[in-house]
Amino acid sequence: MIERNFLAQDVLTAEDVEMIHEASMELLEETGIEILHEEAREIFAENGARVEGEKVYLSRELVEEYVEKAPGSFTLHARNPENNVTVGGNNSVTAPGYGSPYVTDIENGRRDSVYEDYINFTKLAAASDHVDVLGGVLVEPKDIADEKRHAKMLYAGAKYSDKCLMGSALGKKKARDCFKMASMLFGEDEIIDDRALVISLISTTSPLKYDDRMLASLIEHAKYNQAVIIASLIMSGSTGPMSVAGTLTLQNVEVLAGIVLTQMINPGAPVVYGSASTITDMQTANLTVGSPAYVKFVGATAQLARYYDVPSRAGGSTTDSLMVDSQAGYESMMNFMTATNHGVNFILHSAGLLENYMTMSYEKFIIDDEILGMVDSYQQGIEVNEDTVAKELIAKVGPGGHYLAEAHTMQHMRDFRTPTISQRATYTSEEDLVSTVESANQKWKDIIADFEAPELDPEIDKKLVDYMENL
Amino acid sequence: MSKMENIVEEVIAGNVAGVAELTQELVDEGAKPSDIIKDGLVAGMDVVGGRFKKNEMFVPEVLIAAKSMHAGMDIVKPLLTDGESSSVGTVVIGTVEGDLHDIGKNLVAMMLEGAGFEVIDLGIDLPADEFVEAVKEHQPDVVGISALLTTTMPAMEETIKTLEEAGVRDQVKIMVGGAPVSQEFANEIGADGYAADGSTATDIAREFVN
Repeated sequence: MIERNFLAQDVLTAEDVEMIHEASMELLEETGIEILHEEAREIFAENGARVEGEKVYLSRELVEEYVEKAPGSFTLHARNPENNVTVGGNNSVTAPGYGSPYVTDIENGRRDSVYEDYINFTKLAAASDHVDVLGGVLVEPKDIADEKRHAKMLYAGAKYSDKCLMGSALGKKKARDCFKMASMLFGEDEIIDDRALVISLISTTSPLKYDDRMLASLIEHAKYNQAVIIASLIMSGSTGPMSVAGTLTLQNVEVLAGIVLTQMINPGAPVVYGSASTITDMQTANLTVGSPAYVKFVGATAQLARYYDVPSRAGGSTTDSLMVDSQAGYESMMNFMTATNHGVNFILHSAGLLENYMTMSYEKFIIDDEILGMVDSYQQGIEVNEDTVAKELIAKVGPGGHYLAEAHTMQHMRDFRTPTISQRATYTSEEDLVSTVESANQKWKDIIADFEAPELDPEIDKKLVDYMENL
Repeated sequence: MSKMENIVEEVIAGNVAGVAELTQELVDEGAKPSDIIKDGLVAGMDVVGGRFKKNEMFVPEVLIAAKSMHAGMDIVKPLLTDGESSSVGTVVIGTVEGDLHDIGKNLVAMMLEGAGFEVIDLGIDLPADEFVEAVKEHQPDVVGISALLTTTMPAMEETIKTLEEAGVRDQVKIMVGGAPVSQEFANEIGADGYAADGSTATDIAREFVN
């Protein structure tokens, strides 16, 4: 969890935010949103929304009343309480890449991701000092049958780490299976109190739709006070207007409708305002995440979420690059750093991704972990006090002296972050020319070879396995 | 520049009214409808397709060019004699059951239309049976199956199986596409082709009908 000490200047003015808000209120009231789930429509109707066919229309009063009920921050619980995180306020909680059907490494190349990859990335995420939340679709284990996949994923996260977990957004049953298995980690068989044990990613279908499975999962999460991120991935120009402001408005309409639904079901239910919106590349019609437009969306999303006083999700160490190269490096740093500096509270896709969301790279995971470490250290800010200002020391050393042998230097030289793979040595010969990708390759193999899972009570382990096998 | 060359230029420029006007003039002057299609309308779209592939044109420009071509087609199609056809071939296209995504599929459909194919777009969230019925009804040369979600990819295989069981699989060529789909996956499920984007889909469809 990155505890931020400062915030970049807002990308939108107060008037800009008002204009987007006003347009959103009118669209929610007059154009409405398609809700492809009967129970969800009933909940909307019972709480005062106008429902016609599959369309739901929300008045300004209703939106304001229910958005107001959503918490500004909440705690996500891990089986090791030291790993609990607060989503909201001055924190940026990180989770690795999510949902990619392919994996790659420099020796074996790009291939379908399988459960073994899922376990490997779980180990890398568990071993990272900077990744807070794992589980969910860390990578898509294509070799596991659909009816067991969600459970096997949760199990890997539970067994190989003691960090916070993501759940399932694919319908009611899978959501509940994940709640039950997460509860077992806390010595229970069912969610028994208000603690959020999982967080799940609910996606809208842009423009202006929510599908059946996502809504069923959203309802289940809200009922049991489990956390959801409600996110739009609008491709500006194809599934949204070809302007950042227009796409932000469309996103705002979609996400607010979802937030309202969670609060109608359970006032105070933990919910995050999410975005993965970006522009469509008009030469290829592809999604593009490595663009300056993308980071404008990231900053503006954080700002809009603050306007509604709910936590935000956007950004990540994302890139359009097909390989771990300079483009992957500069785009990932831009996207992750913008997310933290603009105050995004939950940063999914923080480590490993290539080709927007398509491929998880073992080497990129390690490089992104370095980025997270650097940004975390940067966000720790500058300590200013008599000791660090060091007026007496400066006077003592005087003009032309040096500080290398001073006690003050000895005392503080470990305050600064040491890189894990970045090169700082001087050139002596060709042998020094090891690329970050090669260093990262060695590093991930070492981490997996040396990995030790945190202890898990064998009885709990057995209960989890039994539950999973009986699905 | 001849009127025919003008049509080519106006299709490239996406001038809907201009293409319609020029087409009508040529028809009135007695030009053969099939020549107007081949040397004017489709010739213009061929240039557009080539430029798009070289990243020289943006997607919306391609779509407006296709729209202008159709403005001309609407005029000449009714004039074709029985033996003549305005269409290079017929494609039935749709997104599989459980998947509501259609932007990529729509783009492929529009590119195919731009290349002179007749496209029957079945829509989204389609049970395999609907593909079977469409094949029986429209007798297409090509069936395009789309999915965006990894969780709906198995439905592509299901769709192909259902076409096989219905005994219509061999009447058509099947191509698949969508962000998580790969050539390898296409091979595995027994598709005839995989298209990563709209212009590849057009190339493959052309190969299928030739």
